[in-house]
Parts: sequence; C-alpha cells; structure tokens
Amino acid sequence: MSKIRGLPPEVREPGPGVELGVEDGLLCKLIHSPEFNLFSDSVVFESNFLQVTKLGNWMDVREASTIVILGVTSSVPSLPLPNVLLMANVTWPQGPFSTWRRPGCAPVITLRRILPLKYVELKIYDRLQRILRVRTVTEKTYYLKLHEKHPEAVFQFWIRLVKILQKGLSITTKDPRIQFSHCLVPKISSNSTETTPANSLPSSSQPSENRMLLAAEQTSGSLFDFSGKSQLTADRNTDTAIEIYDSNSYNKTPSPVASPVNLTIPMRATLSHSLWEQENPDECFLQAPAASSLGENLLGP
Amino acid sequence: MTYAYLFKYIIIGDTGVGKSCLLLQFTDKRFQPVHDLTIGVEFGARMVNIDGKQIKLQIWDTAGQESFRSITRSYYRGAAGALLVYDITRRETFNHLTSWLEDARQHSSSNMVIMLIGNKSDLESRRDVKREEGEAFAREHGLIFMETSAKTACNVEEAFINTAKEIYRKIQQGLFDVHNEANGIKIGPQQCISSSVGPSTSQRNSGDVESNSGCC
Repeated sequence: MSKIRGLPPEVREPGPGVELGVEDGLLCKLIHSPEFNLFSDSVVFESNFLQVTKLGNWMDVREASTIVILGVTSSVPSLPLPNVLLMANVTWPQGPFSTWRRPGCAPVITLRRILPLKYVELKIYDRLQRILRVRTVTEKTYYLKLHEKHPEAVFQFWIRLVKILQKGLSITTKDPRIQFSHCLVPKISSNSTETTPANSLPSSSQPSENRMLLAAEQTSGSLFDFSGKSQLTADRNTDTAIEIYDSNSYNKTPSPVASPVNLTIPMRATLSHSLWEQENPDECFLQAPAASSLGENLLGP
Repeated sequence: MTYAYLFKYIIIGDTGVGKSCLLLQFTDKRFQPVHDLTIGVEFGARMVNIDGKQIKLQIWDTAGQESFRSITRSYYRGAAGALLVYDITRRETFNHLTSWLEDARQHSSSNMVIMLIGNKSDLESRRDVKREEGEAFAREHGLIFMETSAKTACNVEEAFINTAKEIYRKIQQGLFDVHNEANGIKIGPQQCISSSVGPSTSQRNSGDVESNSGCC
C-alpha cells in the first residue's frame, strides 16, 4: 500500500461545474488529452453554442448537429484571470447531447482555434436569447447562441465571465505603479460600454438575474477559479454592459452579419504583450502575486 | 480513426505568404482568395499514409504578422516539422527567412524537420525570388525545399507529405525519440479515437498520398 496513513483517500466527486456541463467537458478532455496536452493544469470553462446570424430573425448558420464549443482557460494556472480562448466544433452523429456514451454515437470534436483573450472581445449581445458576440482585433464578429439544453445558470456564468474579463477581480491590481503588462482588463472608454439592447431585457431582469447568479455561485463557486486558489468576489450587480473581445468563426468565414466594428480595446494596447507569451511559468508565478498585492509596490525599486 | 503516429507541424512565415491557404488546400482541397489575418493558432489535421503507416498530421497555422510574433514563438515547442513559407512575389518575405529560422531553431527541437516553401508559384509573371535562390537558402541551412501554389494545389500535398516522410525516416533511424513529447511525435492510440473523447479526428483522410504532381 502506498497510501499515507492519516490522510483521507482522495475524493473524486464531480463538482457542480461538471454537472452543469461547463467543467471537465469535451473541450477540456480534448486539450488535456495526449494528442494536444495543452494547459493540463488549468481548469477549462466551456459551453456549447450554435453559431447564428441576424437576418431578421436569428437563424442557425450551421447544421444543428454541429455545435461550437467555446471555452476559456489559463496558459498558466497561477494567473488570476483566464487568458486563452478555445474554439472547437463538435458533431453529434445522433443529434446534440444524444446518448453519446453508446459506441458509434461518440461526438467528434475538432479543435479549431486557440486565441489569446487579449485579442478578443466577448460581449453579451442578447440576454433573452442567450447570444454571445465574439469579436477579434482583426474585426471579425460572430454570434453564438448558448445551446438550449444548457440551464440558465450557465449563461449567467458567461455574463459573469464577461464582466470579470472587462473589469477584473478584486484580486487583480488597480495600482498603476504595478506594471501589469497584459491586457485582460481593458480600459473602458466613455463610448465603449455597449449595452444589451433595452428591448431584449426583461423589465425585472435584475433581481431575478441576481438570484440566478447567486444560485449559480452557490452551486459552483469555483467555476471561474482558474488558479484553483482565488475566489470570485466580483460585485453581483451585474449591469447590462458586458463586453469582451474575441472572435472567431469556423473556416475563417466571417459571419454574414458582421457589422462595422468599433473596437473598445485600443488595438495598440492589445498588441503589446502578455503573460501568454511567457514560456516560463515561474515568471508568471512571480507576477501573479504582484497583481494581487494591492498597494504594495512589490515591483518597485 | 487510428493512427500509428501523430506529428505536430507548425506553419510559419511572414504575413500574407499563404500559410493559411496552404493548410486549407491540404486539409480541405480548396482555395480561399480572401486573406483573413490569423491570430493565435488555427488548427488543421489530416491523415496520411507513409510506408503503410497511418500518420496523423496535427497542423498549427500561426500568425505571421510581426505584432503576434512573440506569441507565435510559444507554439514551436513540441513540433516535429515546420513549414517555413515565403512568397516568391515578395522579396522581403524571403529576406526575413533568416529571422524565422532563428526563431524555429531556438524554440524547437534540434531534430525538427523544416520544409522551406516558396509559395504562389502560379504567379510566375510577378516572381521576385528565383527558384535557385530558394534552393540555395535551403541547401545552406539544411532544409528541404519546394515551390508550391496554394491556389492551384501544385506541390501542396508533396510539401506536407515529404516533410512527414523525412520525420518518419528520422524515427526509423533513431534520431527521434518518439517517447519524448518534446519532439512533436506521439504514438497513436490503439482504439477508436472518437469512442474515447473524440479527439480531433477532424478533416479528411488522404488514404494513399503518394506524390504525383510535380507541377511546379
């Protein structure tokens, strides 16, 4: 027996994120598989979407059996925020979420893209229809509708993620003396805060949304804990202005509804550099605490 | 789909030389004239057959724009093969090869097979880099060399497959340790891929991929 006496056996109960289908999903398994072996120590938050376009009504632009999996993760687990966007296609031979554990019905997943999040804007485009807008710095815009089989709590997590990416966590630095060089928390210009169209919001959305978010948090408090250490403390008063950067489509084909883009993240800022570029995890490890040390000039002279 | 080996490729070179078009032509057999700037990594995959062995090529198409250059460097690690691409109609893309090569040498395995590709061979009237110059550069730096056209598909198959052949040859010679992931080679699973997680079977299976065109 190699077990150490006194230590409880490892408990491997699936977390609430797994039950909601946003953790340890197909995309996570794919990138952690020997075939890719990427970001193996980082949690992946992922959901299934349908790519849609807006031609009068929302219409699926791909076959219903082809689903887009959108996920975020961290290139280094110690980062306080995710910095990588993943996009994959998955085809379900017997239809979405079919009994894929049966032989012959396994989903076929194809990783399409890995994008540094600093080159991407994510925005909650339509809350009622649960549509995310994904836009890259190269000005391609795509619309992704959360799959109907995901519970509402999942979309609330995306709303939360968008807000976190935009405004940061309480643990991310606001101290201008700290040279935190990557751009996961973009500056917001006065005209950059896009809001969800008013007519898409229920008049009483806020309280119910907050309740939903609270419930979601209670059931899955660690879903965005990419480092495995930090706890989210973001304000729950989720407003309607939610944006991110990102992007992508399949086969590099822009959505036919791609609209003129008015990037809210200055291109030059997004093209500086980031922790993503650092190959030595130790460097990132050194910077992460710095980002958390509010008011302490740890990097000063 | 089972395979004996998986080879990781990376496609590098200046922006606009046709890296994404080469990938699209190889995986989907089509050409897309509109140039979409690549950011991050775009993935492609295809099965090829080398000496009776099914080999999966996992291809990482990278951004060529200078702004993304430092990020691109992080993708070299673990690549077994690299396609270093320049545009025969743009001299500057040829002049930058040394810089790309330095990056590749510095951030990848010393055994990585590098295929130098002079793309856009269909634009002969606008040629700015002689074939002999490409050949000389390749010879000087120990690279394989081909001219290709992603538009006409000329030599595209051959470029990818000849690279795989060279990697496979190195495996057989014992130059590649297939158990060391840093070399960009993985031994394939013995069971159906899609029955486990469905890992990236993607795209198409070329079946037999003997070189056959020699059109350039």
